[in-house]
Amino acid sequence: MFAILEKTAVIWELELRKMRHDQTDLLIRAIQPVLWLTIFGSVFRQFRELPLGEVSYLSFITPGVLAQSVLFIAIFTGVSLVWERDLGQLDRLLAAPAPRTSIVLGKAFSGGVKGLFQAGVIFAIAFVMGVDLIYNPIYVLAVIGVVFTFGVCFSSMSIFVTTLLNTRERVMGMMQLLTMPLFFASNALYPIEIMPRWLQIVSIINPMSYVVEALRALMITGDLSRLPVALGGMAIATFIFIGAAALAFRRVGR
Amino acid sequence: MSRAVSVASLSKSYGRLKALDNISFEVDEREIFGFLGPNGAGKTTAIKIMLGLTRPDKGHVEIFGIDVQSKPDRARENIGYVSQNLSLSNEITGYENLLISAKLYGVPSSIRKSRITEIMDLLGIQDRANDLVKKYSGGMMRRLEIGAALVHRPRLLILDEPTIGLDPQVRLVVRELLRRLVDEFGITIFLTTHDMGEADELCEKIAIINSGKIGVVDTPTNLKRSVGGDSIQFETKAPEKALSILTGKFGDTKPIAKNNTISMIVNSAETALPLLINTLTRAGVIVDAIHSHRPTLDDVFLKYAGSRLTDVEREGDYSHVKQVRRTFRRMR
Repeated sequence: MFAILEKTAVIWELELRKMRHDQTDLLIRAIQPVLWLTIFGSVFRQFRELPLGEVSYLSFITPGVLAQSVLFIAIFTGVSLVWERDLGQLDRLLAAPAPRTSIVLGKAFSGGVKGLFQAGVIFAIAFVMGVDLIYNPIYVLAVIGVVFTFGVCFSSMSIFVTTLLNTRERVMGMMQLLTMPLFFASNALYPIEIMPRWLQIVSIINPMSYVVEALRALMITGDLSRLPVALGGMAIATFIFIGAAALAFRRVGR
Repeated sequence: MSRAVSVASLSKSYGRLKALDNISFEVDEREIFGFLGPNGAGKTTAIKIMLGLTRPDKGHVEIFGIDVQSKPDRARENIGYVSQNLSLSNEITGYENLLISAKLYGVPSSIRKSRITEIMDLLGIQDRANDLVKKYSGGMMRRLEIGAALVHRPRLLILDEPTIGLDPQVRLVVRELLRRLVDEFGITIFLTTHDMGEADELCEKIAIINSGKIGVVDTPTNLKRSVGGDSIQFETKAPEKALSILTGKFGDTKPIAKNNTISMIVNSAETALPLLINTLTRAGVIVDAIHSHRPTLDDVFLKYAGSRLTDVEREGDYSHVKQVRRTFRRMR
């Protein structure tokens, strides 16, 4: 167990060092949430029919856009893994005396860190755009925790899918296919109540909904009544995906 | 002398393709052992099994007496592996790559720094330590690659085609480095190559491998001696006819034809050449060109694998080598 954590830290460090030397990727990815908030948010705030209570539409979708940008960045963890395998870089890690699970965890944790950068960007934009966020340090810390976990969760999912599909082309296609329903069949852009009945059922099994719910409670409403459910749902999804990824990854060179 | 590697009746198939067909060999400590064979002969498969990355269908591998199948991580602690591809992360610095390798192999933090400096000195890349690897030349990358495999002071270094895609002078530098590792540090080296010159110059022992089978294992000198004579090659426009005339007449090695060129091994070229030309001319076969030379490893390959390495190489799957070279360029 100790060996797994120790080697996980090494793989994690490797990923973070790569990130430190090449920040363009992170910068480019920061543009997308800006566009969502400024364009999509500005247009859709004109509709007054959404049952949002006292919250403005921009405030409503800020946590949703954060979750979405973390989802998009995490989903590429798997793609980079296939890429490294094709280049032969993965062989170096596999030939080392490191438990296979630590490779999965190290990569997934780096996905979590990338998610945190997104959170930083979104907090900044939301502040500039006058979104009324909760700046209580405890809440902010909790947001950091949620975002990190979510990044790990979807990075694991992406590693799992990648390991099953094997080729870069298939993985890219599958990720495109998965991100759409994950994003739109969730409460990221609109409340679940306005969805058709069948979609509501889908959104209940969609881990994204729980993440957005947790983020919305912690960033905007401050209403923590449903937080345990949201965190619970997220934790279950994270455990399932880490487990699935670790199991699947065993096939890739023992 | 103790055994560094012991491989016993290893077989591995991918579908209908037999990548390895019941191979066995042993590598002594402090020797350079080479797998010589064309691409697709099963060399990389053998390495993957030795590292515990691929499960064999049959047979087993021991590294310094440790069974790779049951204790892969313990075996891996003793191995430094340099793959055919560039396996380092080119988006971080050379120093960082060595640091990560040191941590990955559990080098204690107290000696990590000195170990890395030592290796940088050995490789002669100290002044580029803090440059990103993608700015390195191909030769520096390869040296760093070998360095990264050495940080944990492995007793066995496994290299898959260590000089592939390198310029001739860089090849020389890499070969010298490998030689030094054995002479000065007592490391055992297992390498694969399809370069006869490299095998001849570098290896103390060579296994000839083709289509998943080992033809013979011996020292380069013994192998060349075992060919037992001189190699003759000649060109003619009637190769089939020439073959049927010559088979059985000169030594026990079968002449083989490749397009219009016929290769054969004879006891002594001095006496065989005139006889050969006379015999053929009398039968109406015209010899357009002929030459003879002392046996090379290519002749050894001909004898034990039944084809010329250079020919297999030309016909065989060369695309993979090209791919590696392309990767090299892209990463540079």
